Amino acid sequence: MKTLRLSGFGMRGFVGESLTPAAVMDYASAFATFLDGGRVLVGRDTRRSSPMIHAAALAGLLGAGCEVVDLGVCPAPIVQFSVPRRSAAGAIVITGGHHPMGWNAVLLIGPDGRPLDPQAGEAVLDVFHAGGFRRPPWDGLGSVREDASCGAEYFDALGRFLDVEAIRRAAFTILLDPVGGSGCAYLEPFARTVGARLVAVNAEPSGYLAREPEPRPRSARPLASIVGPLKGDAGFVFSSDMGRLALVTERGETPSEEYGFPLVAAHVLGRRIGPVVTNGCTTRTVDDVAAARGAPVIKTPVGQAYVMAALEDESGAIGGEGSGSAAVPAFSRAFDGFLMAGLVLEAMATARASLSDLLHALPRYHIVKRSVPCAPGAGYRALDAVREHAAALPGARIDTTDGLRIDRDDGWTHVRASRTEPIVRVISEAKDPAAAAARADELVRLLGQGT
Amino acid sequence: MNQTLKVGISGVRGIVGESFTPQLAASFAQAFGTFAGRGPVLVGRDTRPSGPMFEQAVVAGLESVGCRPVLAGVLPTPTLLMLTPHLGARGAIAITASHNAAPWNALKFADRRGLFLSPARAEELFDLYHQRDFPLVPEPELPRADLCERGFDEHARRVAAFVDAPAIRRRRFRVVVDAVNGVGALFSAPLLRDVLGAEVRVLHGEPSGRFERGPEPVAENLRALGEAVVRDGADVGFAQDPDGDRLAMVSEMGEAIGEFYTLAFAIQQVLARGSRAPVVMTLSSSKTVEAAARAAGAGVIRTRIGEIHVSEAMLRAGAAVGGEDNGGVIVPAIHPCRDSFGAMAVILERLCSTGRTVSQLRDALPRYHLRREKFPAGASEAPERLRRLRRAYASLSPDLTDGVYVDFGTGWIHARRSNTEPVIRVSAEDVTPEAANARMADARAHLGFEL
Repeated sequence: MKTLRLSGFGMRGFVGESLTPAAVMDYASAFATFLDGGRVLVGRDTRRSSPMIHAAALAGLLGAGCEVVDLGVCPAPIVQFSVPRRSAAGAIVITGGHHPMGWNAVLLIGPDGRPLDPQAGEAVLDVFHAGGFRRPPWDGLGSVREDASCGAEYFDALGRFLDVEAIRRAAFTILLDPVGGSGCAYLEPFARTVGARLVAVNAEPSGYLAREPEPRPRSARPLASIVGPLKGDAGFVFSSDMGRLALVTERGETPSEEYGFPLVAAHVLGRRIGPVVTNGCTTRTVDDVAAARGAPVIKTPVGQAYVMAALEDESGAIGGEGSGSAAVPAFSRAFDGFLMAGLVLEAMATARASLSDLLHALPRYHIVKRSVPCAPGAGYRALDAVREHAAALPGARIDTTDGLRIDRDDGWTHVRASRTEPIVRVISEAKDPAAAAARADELVRLLGQGT
Repeated sequence: MNQTLKVGISGVRGIVGESFTPQLAASFAQAFGTFAGRGPVLVGRDTRPSGPMFEQAVVAGLESVGCRPVLAGVLPTPTLLMLTPHLGARGAIAITASHNAAPWNALKFADRRGLFLSPARAEELFDLYHQRDFPLVPEPELPRADLCERGFDEHARRVAAFVDAPAIRRRRFRVVVDAVNGVGALFSAPLLRDVLGAEVRVLHGEPSGRFERGPEPVAENLRALGEAVVRDGADVGFAQDPDGDRLAMVSEMGEAIGEFYTLAFAIQQVLARGSRAPVVMTLSSSKTVEAAARAAGAGVIRTRIGEIHVSEAMLRAGAAVGGEDNGGVIVPAIHPCRDSFGAMAVILERLCSTGRTVSQLRDALPRYHLRREKFPAGASEAPERLRRLRRAYASLSPDLTDGVYVDFGTGWIHARRSNTEPVIRVSAEDVTPEAANARMADARAHLGFEL
């Protein structure tokens, strides 16, 4: 199994196999060489491997002469938020995000807080492969300074960005599940900011994941089972880096993670109409929400880096993905779970509606997600079989921006090789649940033949 | 030719950013962790600016193979060594280039006894390093780093227990210490003032690792210390090296008397307590040092150059005192390693119990004149030059234990390849300065170095 996934904005790998101190150090040194030194923020999550990777990244940065500002355990969106405010040249976030135990990643952040621009990322990769790192002599090495004030500044700013008066008046009870990750120590400040009563679940930063870290209905079940008895108004289930979330309604419903983004988008477009940016495999609910408010939709390849780049280029109002993430450039340049949760609460408070009501007001489709394991490299071969199949479909529109998307009048399917895991992902959405499932199954079958 | 990376029994050392990189340090830490086995490994460093960077690299390397780093921070090398068995660690890594200039740094490896690795064990370590097949541990088994705080307390306790501290305190010595911006800047004054009751002034007392004098405690680097001793009317001036294992003295007249007198005085003082065990010193130790031992009725064992050879021989012989005549005093009752802090206490006890001054003690010993020089000679040419020297003195049957040692009765010469630099070191000693100079000139000519 191929366990190292390398790109210009992130190095993901399996601890004990591919994500070694040497690989991390070289990657950090390559980033620092690309930046030509300068100030770099570093934050990490709570995974057991994160201190080791943190040490390796620091060594790589210091050896290349960077001035390191160490934020310690810090959610990715707060690191990203802080980069321009600390006038840093960039940041490194160490987090396994939504990946299972054993995985971890080194993510590169650019000077504006976005994941490193894909073009800049290519330059970092070139340095990484060439290996000629910046190596100042002994008296030009970098320094380390700890900075524990980024969290407080972040929540100050969030409090000013949200309509906290309205949210506080609603006196919500919220349930937050940060999967024992980097958000644990930041739940209380968030709850104080929005004036809500807090119920924290899986909030012990033990380094072990208490549940599947990918926010989705299955991982939302523990919260769903207690939201009723605790009279909660909303539950938020985060990834371990606080970049993504899934929703739990006051009735204990666990909608697909796809609905977080359109729900927030509908609310944000009410503040300001502007382009909506999302990837090619996010629910059509987003297109419908945007169309209803007269906002254009821009589609990008999958990944925060691509979405954020397009948001920048198109001066978008909001961007996000169906995996449960959203970014609002008026606040920061990051997929931000706290911001999303805050906006959901604001939407509830200003509309005087329950989360369940907001959710059911959205146009709904049925979405089916499947994944097919495949050997590294075989994914692209497998896609060929699907391409032939698609070409023969009457009335289908084919898009190959990222993998393969087949659009029909009543729905769409999307197939692509994961960038982060040795699998091919299949997504199928349609008005009719049976059609969505049948189309997904057909693709899985074709992929099975291809591998 | 870039010959600055040196891997040998004294560890791995090189010029920061040129030949010695965090990547290299992490790989060596992985090799050492593999060698030592899973468990705690003590990590300490001197004050060099590159220390924190290498510490991060070492932490990442150790953790990746399942060793728990115990971080002692800035600490003298002898303190780190004695804490290793005291804390039950599996070994230690000292991040220090000892007396090398500021652009250098190094890793030195110690076993669980708190002794540097013997040549045979060092070879095992280098084999592991070159195989590069480190047993990386999976995420759930990754250890967490620990801190070891106030590590010097144990060192101070042992020193106070070994000497007659109350008698020394009563004398209220006036002492100037030149800490060369190294570890002594943090620990010498507390030991001398609080434990030994001296009035202390510290020169070069900023622990910055930016050495304000040449880092070796040799006469030409001790002019400022000499002046301070005279100005203060001090009893003695002590000069340390950056990691606190070597000690030289300046007399009450402000004269740097030569590092070998440190060992000679220490031998006299420890033997005065009644030990009959032999004294251990290196092959190139001054006859003055040997005379100090013989006068007290002790036998003398001479070993190869290198602290570990002296330490091992002392343990085998049950020696009470020994060392290297570069100012490295070893008192096994404190710990069988070179220790400038123990040496300072023993020297003060000597002054105290004899009631004499440093110059009087010096004058009471037979006077030899020692010349030491080093000549640049790379690995390819050094052996042939040494062979020529050996052939020139074949009739005197040179001792080949370590390089070439020729005994002329009144005087001797010793030439050997350095373990730490691409040079041949030559020592020559005789009863008059002229004779010593002539010996040195002869050796130099036979080695083929032009005047």
